[in-house]
Amino acid sequence: MIEFTINNQPVTAKKGETILQAARKAGFYIPTMCYIEKTTPCASCRLCVVETDKTDGLILSCQTPPTQGLAVTIDSERLQTERTNIMRMYDVNHPLECGVCDKSGACDLQNKTLEFGVSTQHFSAKEQHRKIEHWGLINYDPSLCILCEKCVHVCNEIIGDDAIELQFGGYKSAVIPKNSETLDCTFCGECIAVCPVGALVSSKFQYSANAWELTQIPATCAHCSAGCSLTYEVRHTSNLLGAKQKIYRVTNNFEVATLCGAGRFGFDFDIQAAKEESVFEKAVSAFKNAKAIRFSSLITNEETLILQRLKEKLGVKLFNEEARAYQSFMDAYSSMSGKSAFSGTLDAVAQSDAIIVLGGRISTDNPAVRYAMTTAARHNGAKIIYMHPLEDVLLQNVVTQNVRYEAGSEEGVIAMLTQTLLEGCDVDNAIKAFLESLDEGYLCAESNVGNEEFAQILKSLRRAQRKTLIIGSDVLSHKRADNIARLCALIEMHTDFSLIVLPQTVNTVGVSLICDLDRDEESADVVGYNAQGDFVIGSMGECVLAMPSLNQQEGTFVSINYQLLSTNVAVAFEGYCLNDIASSLGVKALNTIDYTVQLPIQKGFKAIGFDALGNFYGGLGEDNRGYMLETMDVAVEGELEAIDDLPEFNGTVVYRCNPVNQFNAYTARTSQLEMDTSLRGSVQFATAARISDGDSVTIEGYAGARVFVLDETLKGTIALFPTYDIAFGGAHENYRFEKIKLKRMGS
Amino acid sequence: MHSEPLNDRNVSEQSPYYYVDIEEYPTTGWDKFKQVVKRTFRGELFVGLWVVMRELVKFNIHTVKYPLEKLPIGPRYRAVHKLLRLWESGYERCIGCGLCEKICISDCIRMDTKIDENSRKEVTEYSINLGRCIFCGYCAEVCPELAIVHGQRYENGSEQRSHFVIKDDMLTPLDFLTSGQQTEYPGFGSINPNESVTKTPLAY
Repeated sequence: MIEFTINNQPVTAKKGETILQAARKAGFYIPTMCYIEKTTPCASCRLCVVETDKTDGLILSCQTPPTQGLAVTIDSERLQTERTNIMRMYDVNHPLECGVCDKSGACDLQNKTLEFGVSTQHFSAKEQHRKIEHWGLINYDPSLCILCEKCVHVCNEIIGDDAIELQFGGYKSAVIPKNSETLDCTFCGECIAVCPVGALVSSKFQYSANAWELTQIPATCAHCSAGCSLTYEVRHTSNLLGAKQKIYRVTNNFEVATLCGAGRFGFDFDIQAAKEESVFEKAVSAFKNAKAIRFSSLITNEETLILQRLKEKLGVKLFNEEARAYQSFMDAYSSMSGKSAFSGTLDAVAQSDAIIVLGGRISTDNPAVRYAMTTAARHNGAKIIYMHPLEDVLLQNVVTQNVRYEAGSEEGVIAMLTQTLLEGCDVDNAIKAFLESLDEGYLCAESNVGNEEFAQILKSLRRAQRKTLIIGSDVLSHKRADNIARLCALIEMHTDFSLIVLPQTVNTVGVSLICDLDRDEESADVVGYNAQGDFVIGSMGECVLAMPSLNQQEGTFVSINYQLLSTNVAVAFEGYCLNDIASSLGVKALNTIDYTVQLPIQKGFKAIGFDALGNFYGGLGEDNRGYMLETMDVAVEGELEAIDDLPEFNGTVVYRCNPVNQFNAYTARTSQLEMDTSLRGSVQFATAARISDGDSVTIEGYAGARVFVLDETLKGTIALFPTYDIAFGGAHENYRFEKIKLKRMGS
Repeated sequence: MHSEPLNDRNVSEQSPYYYVDIEEYPTTGWDKFKQVVKRTFRGELFVGLWVVMRELVKFNIHTVKYPLEKLPIGPRYRAVHKLLRLWESGYERCIGCGLCEKICISDCIRMDTKIDENSRKEVTEYSINLGRCIFCGYCAEVCPELAIVHGQRYENGSEQRSHFVIKDDMLTPLDFLTSGQQTEYPGFGSINPNESVTKTPLAY
């Protein structure tokens, strides 16, 4: 703790904190233009200058840590003059187009100009013609840009795309795409979010509405399991377009949280339906006669609980293979570790200095994890070991060691990893015997990961203090998932690694906690809720009865962090919802959110009602969203099984993996996200499958045709096969590597 | 007409105000009866009828033959809205800032905007629901571009009131503009259409 004073008031700062951070925590206000909490200081605006008793000149409070006994002054006449002059410079030739500018009303430059009372321009510069750049989803107007560098910092330090940079040229300086003619990035749009002025804006949103007339609806992203916080910004349209509420854009609290492109641009997946009583009656009787309900994890906790209650009342079975796989993985994990949930969180990932990722294509499965990894790499210099059969180009900036194992050999790899990491740890005899009994030669040969690679992993970890093991969703659907889970538990228990497991869908965790799921079997009379069935209800694919999408429902999700997060209605839905059906079947509640308080306490939920849940970040970045689920103690009765023979995948093997910003049928029907459904493979794959670039192929077991695209960045013989656009046929429950039969169309 | 003497509301020699001579109200039944008889048989009706007959034969009629004739209306009268164009270029004045929509107290203005091919804000839809409009004039007052103004057309007769209020109806037609028929409200900041107006140069 460092004690110092601000304006003669005593303030304490933690080690590593800057004067600005300490001042903000103590409630002092220091104006800034370029400061953003989650990156290293840009130090470009110089508005945060302060005076101290130990220096003659002014110092930047955003990047200077205080020393013991320092006396800091944050508001003197000299500082006021200094700051006012900076604001005058910012305002020189700034286009006076606030009337149409998208940022007007939420603009840092506007606010600070008013705060410092800059009403006239004392000097000017020759105006120059600057071209407005159109970069796909992002537009950039260099004449509005104040060169604060926030966008460059988040792109590099948090996202990891490293796609933009500052072109220095005095008055001609601008933000330009890095090493490219046009912007080539994953279009997360975080640069738009952090831009304090209207220089970087969403091209679809630009000039369509004003910031000050949008209603902000706090919600949780419905696309992946990270449960990112976002705000739907809603307004009515004109009379000729129906004067209905419409989501105009999505924003996020960029100071503390990050959002990927799917969350930011993939928001218009709401549907409309009218109440038709005859169809509703049919749905009710379908539920009455059903033997089972099959549903996807694109569902809120409340509706999941309704389904569970229906199961108890009607005696139907509940099918959700994807959540069941996660449930059984976690059961196996708990039976070894004695805890109901793993210890890792996304924040822990961001603070790690060593990360091992195994069995998942992080950059497209779960961008939030990728951003946390990038943050760790950039801020802590973290060593990142990426273990997967396919290398990932998007991670090449952060990954320090790529370990490529053979598809299907995860069990062997993790066994070897356990052996490596547990070396020298104090473990009981059973585990010791298990580790000694491993047939290293066989496992290394079959998984194609050599001993020297494990040795190198150990070497990279030597200095690390905070380590995280990330288990991707490939493993959840693996045939030997349970044994893998036990091995993961071993690593977590006996080393200082924290563990985090990445489920595939937004509420896989919630479903796995709330429902008693049954093994899916082909049976008659199945009601599908956003899933295959004899009578299908839902908001995607061909449904008999339309149900609200996830941005039209209020309810809660459970994220990767085992945090309960609430979401709200962005656009009203006129039709029926699951609660209406359940109510007429005798499972009665006035509103769906009446179930929030009834979520099972024995699974870690708390008896807190929906309306009592917060959904915001505090001024200093405190997480006031929902609540953390309690980790329960579980009986330790699991036993390791011997490693099974490692399966082999030869021939035309594909990996089910969606392109960037695409996750499910919701994202597939949004208007802004790129719809790339092509099968992407390397030259080797093309040779093996005897197809060439541009061929249209069909894949046995999946509907529709795919265009094959030869991808130079891919290596090996495994192709990437996106399934997000197939409403119920995503096959989330199967192992993600699959040997397929390709058929070239027209041959 | 001079209004000054009328401003002094006190009844006096100088003031044009005076007390009207009103006879006492009858109180008893007999007096009331007498008043009724007096008023009934006095023949005042024929005084009025005589005036009508006299004017009928003189053919000097003051009645405005509406709708063939219309009285000129005050420039500040707030009738059905108009969207004006720029004199120099013919472009729409409306920049789509949305202030009128926001200030409208009966919430009857709706608009849609988008980015056009020149990266400028373009108003694609603009409507005023005259069924709700109270003609308060706030929209015209708040408009920074003098784009939305109140016109002189006070006749709202149609099958539907909404017939007046889509953008195409309100916007000055281009041939109207070129023939100089766009009327300008002579308020603060307005231009005189008789002066020659030129485009603001955008390049230096």
